[in-house]
Amino acid sequence: MVQLASGRPVSDRLESVGTALSWVTTVARLVLGVSLFVAGAIKIGAPAVSVQAVKAYQLLPDTAATFVGHGLPIVEMIVGVLLVLGLLARPSAVVGGLLMVAFIIGISSAWARGLRIDCGCFGGGGTVGADQDPGYIWELLRDAGYLLCAAWIIYKPPGRLAMDSALGLTGSRDADASFVGDEDGETD
Amino acid sequence: MLITIGVIAVVGGGIAWWSVGQSASETVTGALAPITIQPDGSVVMARPGVTAPVVDVYEDYQCPACKQLELTSGSTLKNLAAEGKAKVVFHLLTIFKTDPTMSNSLRAGSAARCVTDGAQWLPYHDKLYERQPIETSVGFTADELVRWGHEVGVTSPDFEGCVRGLRNVATHQQYSNQVMASRKLAGTPTVMLNGQSLGTVAFVPSALREAVLNAAG
Repeated sequence: MVQLASGRPVSDRLESVGTALSWVTTVARLVLGVSLFVAGAIKIGAPAVSVQAVKAYQLLPDTAATFVGHGLPIVEMIVGVLLVLGLLARPSAVVGGLLMVAFIIGISSAWARGLRIDCGCFGGGGTVGADQDPGYIWELLRDAGYLLCAAWIIYKPPGRLAMDSALGLTGSRDADASFVGDEDGETD
Repeated sequence: MLITIGVIAVVGGGIAWWSVGQSASETVTGALAPITIQPDGSVVMARPGVTAPVVDVYEDYQCPACKQLELTSGSTLKNLAAEGKAKVVFHLLTIFKTDPTMSNSLRAGSAARCVTDGAQWLPYHDKLYERQPIETSVGFTADELVRWGHEVGVTSPDFEGCVRGLRNVATHQQYSNQVMASRKLAGTPTVMLNGQSLGTVAFVPSALREAVLNAAG
């Protein structure tokens, strides 16, 4: 367990619980942040493929699909970097969480309509071949896991090793009130 | 806080500028290279005497990603052929194994083989992509296929009978199966440069042009 430097007069037990939980936030930030960044980085080089992946869901008109296809990789990369750095952690987690909600809705809807889509999240895009299983259930479980990460970060930002702490941008007074000693991440 | 948000906005805008710029489609400016239909139904677009590098385009009229490829990079392929920088070969296949997509694709593939003049084939090819039906509905009906042919100037007197009679379905399917097996295609669209798949590079016009020019040496 990490030695706290705050030296506040609180019980050791509370401190260690608070410390452990803020490390959970750090892990959640890394998992969600790295995944989003990789997903965005794979798509950014070939936006037409990303546009096609969005169109494949047949949920948005072509103009909107083109806009989302170009914009999504950029948003994913930026939010991914912010989460890894712990910069504007809570707003970034809100955006990341909303993306996951949108993905879950899109995949569920595609599944319900019997579409066969390779979601394109990790480099694919377009429709899958007739013999392949689209594997929607695994994509939904994966995105639900990411959503859980986002929810945790929103609940308890910014975690250890976060630039928000260093810059005094925590913006997390209410969530922190229940635990003592998790705002001293800068001393690590 | 404001500075942070400002920096993020500038970085995001910069990436967007780069992303849109490098993936912008070319416009077709001059006359197209001559287009000739081969005995096996593949279609060659190349200036006389240009035999390399070879750009093979494997696509399916019903495949949405192929439509995206045509919208994004079709003009680059036309320009490269017109400039004498490449020999472009179109291979129209049917990758779908369930209906309605399989029958849609077979009707379109068969109809396109009813066009016997290369100069009329490419506009018809482009028209079919422009009017591609969604994957969950029956489309490419005989009436549509005939009407679009006349719209783009297909003149062969036998065209309508050929389309309505589905005369080339068997030939098209046989060619498709043979090509998919021999080229070990994972799916469509696949664009190969001198036999090597270009992957997603084919969807980035500037990168596609660069790859072809480099292959030309």
